[in-house]
Amino acid sequence: MPAPTTPSAPERAAAVPPVPRARRRAAASRLLRGVGAAGSSIPLLALIFVLAVLLAQALPAIEYNGWGFFTGTAWRPGNFYADGVTTNGVAHPPGADYSVWPLIVGTLASSLIAMIVAVPVSIGAALVIVERLPRRVADAVGMLLELLAGIPSVIIGLWGALTFGPFIARDIAPILANHMPNVPVLNFFRGPTGYGEGLLTSGLILAVMIIPIVAATTRDLLRQVPLLPREGALALGMSEWETARKVTLPWIRSGIIGAVVLGLGRALGETMAIAMVSGAVTGTLPTNLYATMSTISATIVSQLDSALTDATGFAVRTLAEAGLVLMVITLAANIAARILVRRTSGTALPVGRGI
Amino acid sequence: MTGSVPDGVRPALESIELSLGFGAVTVLRSVSLRIERGGIFALLGPTGSGKSTFLRSLNRMNDKIPGFRREGQVLLEGESIYGQRGDLMDLRRRVGMLFQRPNPFPMSIAQNVVAGVRAHKMAPRRELSAIAQRRLEQVGLWGAVKDRLGESPFRLSGGQQQLLCLARALAVEPEVLLLDEPTSSLDPVSTEAIEALIRSLAPELTVVIVTHNLGQAKRVADHTAFFHDGHLVEHGPTARLFDSPAEAETARYIASALG
Repeated sequence: MPAPTTPSAPERAAAVPPVPRARRRAAASRLLRGVGAAGSSIPLLALIFVLAVLLAQALPAIEYNGWGFFTGTAWRPGNFYADGVTTNGVAHPPGADYSVWPLIVGTLASSLIAMIVAVPVSIGAALVIVERLPRRVADAVGMLLELLAGIPSVIIGLWGALTFGPFIARDIAPILANHMPNVPVLNFFRGPTGYGEGLLTSGLILAVMIIPIVAATTRDLLRQVPLLPREGALALGMSEWETARKVTLPWIRSGIIGAVVLGLGRALGETMAIAMVSGAVTGTLPTNLYATMSTISATIVSQLDSALTDATGFAVRTLAEAGLVLMVITLAANIAARILVRRTSGTALPVGRGI
Repeated sequence: MTGSVPDGVRPALESIELSLGFGAVTVLRSVSLRIERGGIFALLGPTGSGKSTFLRSLNRMNDKIPGFRREGQVLLEGESIYGQRGDLMDLRRRVGMLFQRPNPFPMSIAQNVVAGVRAHKMAPRRELSAIAQRRLEQVGLWGAVKDRLGESPFRLSGGQQQLLCLARALAVEPEVLLLDEPTSSLDPVSTEAIEALIRSLAPELTVVIVTHNLGQAKRVADHTAFFHDGHLVEHGPTARLFDSPAEAETARYIASALG
């Protein structure tokens, strides 16, 4: 029987000279490192670029609008057809007077309503999916959640404007109004509802959009909670609700905060649907739950077209300033969440304060 | 006489022709056992013998497992725990449990101890820290944790965590304590501490301990029952069972385990 024909070690070394090969590999790994470094720096560069462009655009507006941008309520672009005037070196149409304050209020208020509705619903839904439903049903519901998350916001906005808003105006608002005692504070829950465009509809539409995100994330977190501490709680005679509240949910506290911030970020920045259901009213603060209003992002998208007709360019610069404000709000929300997560977790996970 | 109780005396806990299974698999066949009040009763047997399933049926921890089925009865102080009127939460307060591995809750050390007390509303809020201290002292953990009651329990050692879980189980004043291989994840020193505590709990408490450690059964238990392959093979006073087992299976297991 002939010997196998695999080359001996010296033969192999002769066939592939070792030095060039090592050099090739080193070059390849250098290339990979370079591509990796370039790739990983792109997000940072993009962020810096966006911030820089926004800031450069907004700078004249910041100068002209001053602090009044955050205190007043007006949103007057001025007369685009008259010749521009120059104040302190900033060109603007005569009569231009902008305040982003009502938009900040609109943004925060609609997001707040969305969170108040969405967070308990999402967490409750996730608990039911994980702990109550049989696996197959749970998977089906989970798939529906992900489908809901994938619906384009313009479709949800259309539904909100045509169906959901009018439903609130016609069927929900009267019930709320009739059952609120006539106390000044509670007048916030009363007001003309029109076709249903306004703060409440915006908040609820936002809730519909963030529930799938928060619920799906919470569901995935819940699946990772080990059985042993939950069994421990049940074996101690806790009810399933107590077990969920005292053991299961605290176990994933920091993850839930992360999920909620993810939803909040979406709510703060959501544009299209809000532009369609908010009533797109600028220049006044929303005074009741049904008041028409607008948010920063919705205003930017709905006013950009007309702003571009401002020959002085000032309207666009003001929208850029408003965009900058939105970025700061979103960033602040993220940082606050990080601090919250760090305080409730880290190596000390999870902590309490004695009894 | 079945189990550790003379006929005519009511046992703390009693199983009558108890058969347990999951789906098509039968884990335990027709086990009748009477467990004496205030004693320490060991359930001994190889892995898969059904002893843990038996233990978990004594506080109905199997109920939620898909496919669980049961025939026969379990009586606690003469009353069926699987009966119609059974209050699951109260049953589990009366029959406490310690698991194979420590399972502290994600809350402070002190809150862990009184978690059950709060759930069952057994004491007003202002008494909770005193209860926490008393139970931590009882398990010998007070000195180690008194300066960090507000901290996370997850930084404690495994043995300390298990002691904390024991303090938590004792705080709701159970009548029976079920121990499911409570030292299987612990080092010898912690094991010794837990065993000493278990001995100190009787006779106020009835203790049922699952173990596959013969030495442990010998050290702590008054009575031992030997399970094999889903059957209760035999049971009796621990010394008698070890010295002169009546059944060949028991003798074989003891001989092989002592190796």
